[in-house]
Amino acid sequence: MTIIAIKAGAAELNAKQRWANTLAFLFSALAFIIGINLRDSALNATWVYTNTEAGIRVEYPQNWLIDTEGDYVFQVRDVSQTGYPTTIQISASPVSLDTPPRYIFDALTLNRSQTLASYSVLSSGLPFVFPDETQATIMNYAFAATYANPFVESVPIVVRGQDILTIKRGQAIIITFLTDSLSYDLTYPIFERFINSLEF
Amino acid sequence: MLRLTTYLCCSYLFTTMMPVYALQSTVDIEQIERATVYVMQVQDTGDDLFITCVGSGTIVSRDGLILTNAHNTLTDENCPGDALIIAVTVRKDYPPIPKFRAEIVQFDIGLDLAVLRITQELDGRLVKNENLSLPFVEVADSAGAHLDDTITVVGYPGIANDPIDLSRGTINGFVTEPTRGSTRSWIKTTAVIPSVMSGGGAYNQDGELVGIPTSAPINRNAQNANCLPIQDTNGDGLINATDICITIGNFINVLRPSNFALPLIRAAALRLSLETLSTPFALQTAPQGSPNFKRLFFSTSINEAGMPTSVVRSLPAGSNSLYLFFDYENMTPETIYELRVTIDGQPSPDFSLSSVRWSGGQNGLWYIGSNEQPLPNGTYEFILAANGVTATSVARLVIGGAPSAEPTFTDVAFGLLDLRNNPLGNGFVLPTGNIASARFIYRNMQDGMEWTTIWYLDGNEIPNSRQTNIWEYGTNGSTTTSVRSESGLPPGHYRLELYIAEQSSGSPRLAATSDFTIAGAQQGAFPQVFTNNRFSVAQDDTAATVAPAVGNVSDQISTLYVLFNWQQIARGTLWTMRWSVDGSVFYEQTVPWNHQESGENFQVRLSSSAGIPDGAYQVDFFLNNVQLSGTSVQVGIGQLPIDRFAQANGVQMRGQILDSNTLEGIPGVTFILISKDFSVDEFTAVWDQRQIYAMAITDSNGYFEIDRPLELTTDDNPIAYSALITAEGYLPLSADGLEVNVTTDNPLNTVIYLSPD
Repeated sequence: MTIIAIKAGAAELNAKQRWANTLAFLFSALAFIIGINLRDSALNATWVYTNTEAGIRVEYPQNWLIDTEGDYVFQVRDVSQTGYPTTIQISASPVSLDTPPRYIFDALTLNRSQTLASYSVLSSGLPFVFPDETQATIMNYAFAATYANPFVESVPIVVRGQDILTIKRGQAIIITFLTDSLSYDLTYPIFERFINSLEF
Repeated sequence: MLRLTTYLCCSYLFTTMMPVYALQSTVDIEQIERATVYVMQVQDTGDDLFITCVGSGTIVSRDGLILTNAHNTLTDENCPGDALIIAVTVRKDYPPIPKFRAEIVQFDIGLDLAVLRITQELDGRLVKNENLSLPFVEVADSAGAHLDDTITVVGYPGIANDPIDLSRGTINGFVTEPTRGSTRSWIKTTAVIPSVMSGGGAYNQDGELVGIPTSAPINRNAQNANCLPIQDTNGDGLINATDICITIGNFINVLRPSNFALPLIRAAALRLSLETLSTPFALQTAPQGSPNFKRLFFSTSINEAGMPTSVVRSLPAGSNSLYLFFDYENMTPETIYELRVTIDGQPSPDFSLSSVRWSGGQNGLWYIGSNEQPLPNGTYEFILAANGVTATSVARLVIGGAPSAEPTFTDVAFGLLDLRNNPLGNGFVLPTGNIASARFIYRNMQDGMEWTTIWYLDGNEIPNSRQTNIWEYGTNGSTTTSVRSESGLPPGHYRLELYIAEQSSGSPRLAATSDFTIAGAQQGAFPQVFTNNRFSVAQDDTAATVAPAVGNVSDQISTLYVLFNWQQIARGTLWTMRWSVDGSVFYEQTVPWNHQESGENFQVRLSSSAGIPDGAYQVDFFLNNVQLSGTSVQVGIGQLPIDRFAQANGVQMRGQILDSNTLEGIPGVTFILISKDFSVDEFTAVWDQRQIYAMAITDSNGYFEIDRPLELTTDDNPIAYSALITAEGYLPLSADGLEVNVTTDNPLNTVIYLSPD
């Protein structure tokens, strides 16, 4: 018995087809890379805040809510974030050149412990250096954020915060970062980019 | 472009979620209920907090001012606590939940009103009042209330698991007392009001607070006190009579008109406080005996000085004006008094006054009356009680039949007589001198009748002043009588009593009486009592006495002084100091004069921790309800700043934000309501807080509340808001042109669905 096997012969791609496949692959890869870049640039897009009176220029994340009318120089918040909105704030208060950072942190601690639930300092006195070599000190803390509205039923959110304190031109400049403790590691790079763009 | 498209497509969805229903009533009961709080006075023993007194209260400003009674908040024998806890209704039909601590910032014991300020969270954390955004009610002008108006009373009816409750009724009368500032001391109502609702609010048809239900329980140690022990305060393992109990009053049938609360609220809102710096001549002495009432009589009306115009024993049918006058002694602001009225032997709640705090002095003349309530025919019996003990004196009056034709004296007024025997002066405050005269009207007199005059000084009959004469002035007209002293009439509190002998028995009948005051030096027919009134600004109290008078001061001051000289004011003379700013009174106090008879630089300090607000300040001085002098000063621009958050009217917006797939509430979502001047596109171009009208974050169940009422749009003043919701993991949602009008349901409840990204 003779078995005759019939097989389709592999068609040879011509040059045009080979180029089409290669270009399709390259365009896909290019589109992917551009997409990644666009996404990153969208997520990392910033606006510039300038305050000539306070001598501050800084880039903050686009579409964050800016407030310049509180008891701070300015504050930005990510109101699209559910839970506690990640907040970055710069405040300034006059001090003498001899005022040690510890007293400023102590004053902040005393004040916050009167108004924030379960306020607790995690660490204090850690050194920090700004990109322009300015020396600063760090305090890390946490508290439970509760809603101001007494008529809603909500569970307090644990908030982690960091203050970076430096004394310049007779002023204590405090840069504060506040975020939900669960997303601290995720959002901290935003604060780092903010610090890196800060000119004061 | 994607974002814009998303906004547009979702805008339709959003706007269709905004229900608009016809407004059923102008009274926003839900807003009122939210603004009504449960006030607990507690005693901190170090380990525990024990409840010592309870009552209701009402939030009257978004930053946490609460209007309530004084009797359940001030520390005294009946309420020995030292802290105040404020509970609010979080869920309808459930008991209130303690949320805050508060402090008393203004009070008036006699009026039984207090204004509290929320100062701390329940756990002791400080509250920034400017950051609070509490629901509050607007206070009405209680002078606009009328008989038969429907009112709604809101408060907490009991000390158990009672949720907030409301009671509806009508206004069935007004009671007038010599309380300052208003001819309506009490509003009477048919609403059934349990005692713990005392301190809550009574609202008119516009949803404005028109009165404060007020009833003070009698002392916990009194025999018939209603006092409930509910905690083991002495730690003996038992709850019994040895534990601190909570006093409960009787049902309430009167409201303190809101106009009495306005000065207290105004002073609290402006953070103003007044302090008399001049040293008193002597400390006030405590009453030497039990409260007592005597010399009860009736009059049909009162004059501008609060004195009876007549003395009557009966009234014709159809009368609607009656005042019960009486002398009181040994009273204190803590005394609880009550008027029980019977008509033909049957108790009449319509004309009775439930237990309330005493708002007069220690001794003097008082009245309880009404001129707006029809009086049915019958035999009336008026019985007064103090601290639960009934007075021995009872007043009786018959109403019905024709007007009486018996001889009468009416309308006594005092002054110095001119050459034609006309009394000159202000009528009830005379300058010191040798003579004081009274002019009165007589009717139905007959020549030959006996009549008697008796003059009193500080409650004692003036020697040789009692004169019985034969009437010789005809049937109707007016005449005068005088008291004279060669050594001079000293300053003090005087009284004239006029009697007519009964034709049948010959015994004297009190026909007219009135009190007046002699004070100050003579300046023509008028007294010169307060002189050199002036405002001053100084670094300290001592420097203020020599500082020059000022008429305008800068807006950077925290202390302002008023000074004056005074002459010939007898100790015990009731004097009134009234302060106002921009024409609105924020302080008024009537107290017995307790300083030397004459002196210089009487000093009062006005201060404010937040700096004295700009405004036109005026201070006036009175004796016997007669204004004698005043002075004014302008601070800053001379006008109070406008509070842009003062508006309580408008549509309250609240709702729930749900996941469109799971239909579960999304916690922590921010709802942004953009100001009427900006669109969503304009806002999202800058994301500036200044463009936001209000903002809210959803709670654990996705519920949110906008803490500022939305203004109503009208043809003349169109107001359109924009809204934006962005939440991580969901498509953003936005809408422009959101309007609310009088037909919009209030509160406006919305359900908003977000689609996962």
